[in-house]
Amino acid sequence: MRTLRRTVAGLSAVALAATLGACSADDGVPTLTWYINPDDGGQAEIAASCTEAANGAYRIETSLLPRDAASQREQLARRLAASDRSLDIMSLDPPFIPELAEPGFLAPVPDTLQDTDGIVQGAVQSASWNGELVTVPFWANTQLLWYRESVAEAAGLDMSQPVTWDQIIEVAEDQDKQIGVQGALAESLTVWINALVASAGGQILEDPEASPDEMQLGLETDAGRAAADIIGRIGSEGLGGSGLPTADENASMNLFQGDSGSFMVNWPFVWPAMQSSDPEIIDDLGWAVYPRVDAATPAAPPVGGINLGVGAYSENTDLAWRAVECIVQPENQAQYFVTNGNPPSNTAAYDDPQVQEQFPMADTIRESLDLGAPRPQTPYYNEISIGLQRTWHPPTAVNPDATPETSTDFILAVLRGERLL
Amino acid sequence: MRAMTWPQRIMWLVIIAAVLVWSLFPVFSIAMTSFKTQAGLFSGTLLPEEWTWENYATILAPGGSAQDLFLPALRNSIGISLIATFIAVVLATLCAYAIARLDFPGKRIILTTALAVSVFPIVSIVTPLFNLWRVVGLYDTWLGLIIPYLSLTLPISIWTLAAFFRQIPWELEQAAQVDGATPFEAFRKTVVPLAAPGVFTTAIIAFFIAWNDFVYGISLTSTDAARPVPAALSFFTGASQFEAPTGAISAAAIVVTIPIVIVVVIFQRRIVSGLTQGAVKG
Amino acid sequence: MTAEIAATGALRADRDRPDTATRPKKRRSDRARAEARLGWMLAGPAFGIMLLVTLYPIVQALWDSLFSLRLTAPDDREFIWFRNYQVILGDPAFWQSMGVTLFITVVTVLLELIIGFAFALVMHRAIKKLRGFARTAILVPYGIITVVSAFAFFYAFDINSGGYVNSWLSWVPGFDEDLNWFASQSTSLVVIILSEVWKTTPFISLLLLSGLAQVPGDLEEAAKVDGATSWEVLRRVILPNMKAAIMVAVLFRTLEAFRIFDNIFIMTAGANDTEALSLLAYNTSIGRLEIGLGSAISVLLFLSVLIIAGIFIKGFKVDLSAGRNS
Repeated sequence: MRTLRRTVAGLSAVALAATLGACSADDGVPTLTWYINPDDGGQAEIAASCTEAANGAYRIETSLLPRDAASQREQLARRLAASDRSLDIMSLDPPFIPELAEPGFLAPVPDTLQDTDGIVQGAVQSASWNGELVTVPFWANTQLLWYRESVAEAAGLDMSQPVTWDQIIEVAEDQDKQIGVQGALAESLTVWINALVASAGGQILEDPEASPDEMQLGLETDAGRAAADIIGRIGSEGLGGSGLPTADENASMNLFQGDSGSFMVNWPFVWPAMQSSDPEIIDDLGWAVYPRVDAATPAAPPVGGINLGVGAYSENTDLAWRAVECIVQPENQAQYFVTNGNPPSNTAAYDDPQVQEQFPMADTIRESLDLGAPRPQTPYYNEISIGLQRTWHPPTAVNPDATPETSTDFILAVLRGERLL
Repeated sequence: MRAMTWPQRIMWLVIIAAVLVWSLFPVFSIAMTSFKTQAGLFSGTLLPEEWTWENYATILAPGGSAQDLFLPALRNSIGISLIATFIAVVLATLCAYAIARLDFPGKRIILTTALAVSVFPIVSIVTPLFNLWRVVGLYDTWLGLIIPYLSLTLPISIWTLAAFFRQIPWELEQAAQVDGATPFEAFRKTVVPLAAPGVFTTAIIAFFIAWNDFVYGISLTSTDAARPVPAALSFFTGASQFEAPTGAISAAAIVVTIPIVIVVVIFQRRIVSGLTQGAVKG
Repeated sequence: MTAEIAATGALRADRDRPDTATRPKKRRSDRARAEARLGWMLAGPAFGIMLLVTLYPIVQALWDSLFSLRLTAPDDREFIWFRNYQVILGDPAFWQSMGVTLFITVVTVLLELIIGFAFALVMHRAIKKLRGFARTAILVPYGIITVVSAFAFFYAFDINSGGYVNSWLSWVPGFDEDLNWFASQSTSLVVIILSEVWKTTPFISLLLLSGLAQVPGDLEEAAKVDGATSWEVLRRVILPNMKAAIMVAVLFRTLEAFRIFDNIFIMTAGANDTEALSLLAYNTSIGRLEIGLGSAISVLLFLSVLIIAGIFIKGFKVDLSAGRNS
């Protein structure tokens, strides 16, 4: 028995040594590790092409992060807090960026990348904190209003003009159809709430850079009440379908593709998805910018995407920023859009002929991104988002008289440390 | 055994059928899901409307997008779980024997510690352990997972084996010793055969605990050097970030279940024979 | 003497070894020391490893719970004594969570005991030809990765993911085919409990099987000859002789059920008031990165579990000494 145990211990030691040894490449070329969110292989391709373009100055290797944004944040935060030196380049979901930038976990952006001309406004805002750019925009996502042309025609709605939520709700009621929105208890709900509040001219967080004890929320305003009114009506009248309380982006798309589909707010991933799953629907498909809350005020569509940051403890920050510069070139962004369906943050990329061909709504996307309003930028974003999700769910229970107040009280209590989330 | 009457036989058949359906139906459900196309996932029926092997290709075929995630993870899971189980069973057997047979100070402490350690929420252990492992160099290694798995599997193993050893009469060993055997020989010849079923049961339980772990797997690894299967599942991706990789996960589940079924088929015979022969009769 | 011991087969108290009181004192202390040494030599490695992994993190977690500490705001760390505990114990969300956790624990363990015992009987008594099938089938759920089984049940019930259960239950009068199982607390809990019971019943049935097999056949025969019905044989002969196995099974199963996580995480992520304590700890420690508050919740969870374990061990000890003489 003892010999066996010793053998096992020995084997484990060998395995350990082998794993450690495998880490370093031997040809003197510095390896930059790019931590990417899982996608359809596009980021790995860009890594390969930029490695080639570097001509031996550096090599980019990708390493996967978990699929959902919350787990990505958890892994990166934990490792950055432990001063991990292997975090060179990171693909970051915009809402986490203030949280990682504030304690100094991100290396400062060099001057060569500070020029934000030609980058859509929504992406620039989501990449900044405390008035400066802390990450570099890579690709930018936004939600469009997708609609069934037959339904819009039958209702006599002119889709070449901006539409409002009221109009959409009315059409759905009259035609006995359902609207594809994301009412699940998830980040998608915060995205929706934020878009509604911002479209109504308000903001969820009045002073993003305040300390948690002193934060003020902008929900108990006309804008907040208007948002609650829209969500409440869709919920209580069953316009989102019976699956609304658990509907995510995929579910909305499925609802839209069904017989009761009429309108849907969703990200552009639905375009290639619907093309492959249900080509007939493409003939009946139209798109427009996100609906307005108030007919006279332009909408503020949701903004998402990925920005690239460099870890403050990386051993090769200069090289990493050079690599980032290569990655975000308009050609790479256009290629990424065409292959992976993730829209560019660089306006020049939209003019690429392949982009225009594959995505006829490319210009609408660009317009939407320029109008877009990011979610509240604060290191306490997680508390605010989850607090909103808890109090504005399920949609049937949302009403303009109570919900803005309840949610404000709850979120502020959590931020002050008086309540659990 | 009395000969079974026909009504009794039929009753047993019905019972076994019910047991089979209860136990295997969800497995059947995942298997069916693994054969569905991406669009067919939302069809609302149990059986696929359109059968496809594409999910299996994704995780197993050389070109598959998840293949370089899944196969290393499978290797990691099997290797780490087996090693952890082996070590846990060996250590637990020694420890349980001591607890059941010998009287020494601190016995209760060991049992209580075993219990306490196994129930402390892993969630709060993970971050300090992560920091410790990074310093020591065990982060993202097999050993870095084996050791925490031991802390998960040892307590239940010790308790189970101790309960088992207690039910084996002390007299058997004493008799063997009186006959001239050393304590170790007495142990080997009398207790080991009777304890075998208990050891196998414990080994199965320990293996499955290690096999199932998710939190340690995802927090103490960062590459496929040590990432086990449950953690790897959360890296699978659909065609876009909004598409859950249901098909791929289901296929992975079935592939991973096959060795389990093999393990179960082999071990269930051992337990059976041991348990039915080894029961102590007057 | 042997027959008597075999007949009870119950968990004997530690003192219940061959009587050494008659030996002279000097040899006893020598022997006692030798025994103690041997005991620690055998049990030491296991003990050492268990502590090695968990001692530092547990102590660190206990220490952290006295601070207001957020992972991404390391400079704002502040020693606040027991204020974290104050906040938690005064928050209705915590007690709600505790209530849900207790409910799930009690229901799942009860169901598993009943079904698990039935399975143990099947594994033990089924006709030879079918026994192998039965045993393999019963054990398979235990080997399925928890996360995967959670997905299996989720996809079967969720109307947004093509769940087919609703269409199967449509013949039940009064059943709404549009029912969203994950939109309300009661229906969500049904699915969660079902998944949990399915997945972990094999564990209990395995342990009960080993206890069942140790019940001496002659006792059963004797009781039947005396005219007892199957039910009485069960209650008076089989169950009392299985006390040890039942105790270990129920103890560990309860402690595990109290810490349920995977199933809820996958199915509802804690929505609709289904957030169990483990999930609350996870959301606070890892979701919010509030290490201080999260560690405090973990400590409270830990204490609750220890209390439950204590109740069990004391409870069963009392029953056992009564059972031995019957």
